[in-house]
Formats: sequence, C-alpha cells, structure tokens
Amino acid sequence: MPEYLEATVDKFIFRVASDRLYSPDGVWAFWVESQGNGQVRIGLTDYLQQLNGDVAFVHVKPVGTEVAVGDEVAELETIKANVSLCSPVSGRVAEVNPDLDLSPEVVNQEPYGKGWVAVLETTNWEADRAKLLDPQAYLSAMRSQAEEELKKQ
Amino acid sequence: MSRTATYHTTVAWKGEHWGHLVMGNGPEMDFSAPPDAHGHADVFTPEDAYVAAANTCVMMMFIWATERFKLKLLSYECRTEGTKLIELDRTEIFTRLHFRPVIRVAANGDTAATVEARVRRALQSAQKYSLVANSVKSEIVVDPEIVIEP
Repeated sequence: MPEYLEATVDKFIFRVASDRLYSPDGVWAFWVESQGNGQVRIGLTDYLQQLNGDVAFVHVKPVGTEVAVGDEVAELETIKANVSLCSPVSGRVAEVNPDLDLSPEVVNQEPYGKGWVAVLETTNWEADRAKLLDPQAYLSAMRSQAEEELKKQ
Repeated sequence: MSRTATYHTTVAWKGEHWGHLVMGNGPEMDFSAPPDAHGHADVFTPEDAYVAAANTCVMMMFIWATERFKLKLLSYECRTEGTKLIELDRTEIFTRLHFRPVIRVAANGDTAATVEARVRRALQSAQKYSLVANSVKSEIVVDPEIVIEP
C-alpha cells in the first residue's frame, strides 16, 4: 500500500500516492518492470476521478497500440462527462485492466490500486520521466487546478 | 460552466388556509396544508412538494444515468414515502425518504446479471447526483424492483 500526500480544497480531500510520477493533467505512471525497455502502469489520480464523477465505461486502446506522450490512451465515460486520458509516456499498450469491463467503478473506488487503466511498455522512459511531476509537485499543481475550479462562478 | 444557479417560486396568501404558488418554470396552482394540519384535501401541499421534489429529481437523474450507462429503459415508476416525525418540542422533520422504484430494462444482448449491476450503479449515481436528494437531511432509502426483459 502506498503512502499518500493529501490536499484539502473546499470540503474535498484529494490524495496523491507518494510512490509514482504524474502528468500535470492527472495521469499517474508507476514503474513496474525493468525488463526490456521497461513497463509503467498508468491510471487516474484521485483528483481526476473525483472531478469527473462516477465512471460508467472505460475504453482503453487495444494491446499493441503505439502511443506518444499526450496521445489518447483511453476514454472514460462518466455520469457527467467524457474524459480523454492522455498517455504520460511514449510506448505500446501491453496490458489493459480486465476489471474495467464489468466493474469500471474501481476507478472511483481505488484510483491508485485496482482502478489502474493500462500497462505501457515504454520506449523513451528516461526522457519521458524527466518531464513528469514528483508527488509533491503534482500535489501543488493539483491544488492550484482545484482552486481555479472553485473560482468559477 | 458556472458553478451556481438559482431557481425561484412565489407564493401569495389567498385567505384562510389557502395560498397560490407560481413556479419559476411556469406552472401555477393553489395550495394548502394537508387535512391533518388544518388544510384541505385534493390540493398541492408543502409535504407533497417536498416528497415530490426528491422523487422527481431522482427520477430525472436516473433517466440521465441510464443514458450514460447505455441502458435501454422500458419503464420507471416510483412511489416515494416521506416519514414525518413530531419531535418533543413539537417541531416536525422529515426523517426519511423511502423510494420504491420499479424499473424495467431490456437486456439488449447482455446477461441479466450484468444489466442489473449496471442498473444498480445508475440508481446509486442518480441518488448521489440528484440535486434535491443531495440537499436534504432526511435519510434516503432506495428499495428497487428491477426487471430485466430478454
């Protein structure tokens, strides 16, 4: 179980797992495998899942799909919105979370655990990771994003 | 997207235990209190309005949820009861709203178990995202009857 950093914004508490890296738009990347070019597991942050609401469907690109940083790797249909999930790294889809088909709510229930979205075989990890945020930096960025949301009247 | 919106109604006293209600969305009607509270039968009452607000809001949110969850809804009917408690100091409160929706959904090629699980999630979302259900302090209980048509 990872340890978490927490930010309270308004009445909401958002957790950030301290054992992985983050894209500024709320996708985490967790290094899981060092064989070959290496693999990272990706998923939504707690903030991103709370912001978009109950997940109804998750459509992940098929295994074997090549993605560059910023390419859509999955689309989520929630009760409130359609959300495009952009890949935080370049690589190839190696695995899709099989639980998402029948139980997409795991994304809401365990965004850093059973609610992972895909495993990507990386092709440029060292360069990509340098552009990702560490947990503390993501916490600050996420807090700013949440506070901006609150300013909308 | 604006984070706030306002809605309004206007009431005016018509004499004795009668009033006239004009709703922001157009309809208007006379109202009273229920007969057990010195009012009249067969007219709109605040008690009915409270229960109806929750019942209608949850239904509309459920309709939205069925669209998002890609369910083929065949029918929806829900009797909802609000339970009033008279406190020791004679103040009154709705302690509970009990929803009993009867929902018919087409299987549409999926297994009954898969569809029923999705209906239950849609119901949970309907309650969670219903503006009115989310605003009241009454306990909310939902006892659905779900029928999956082949």
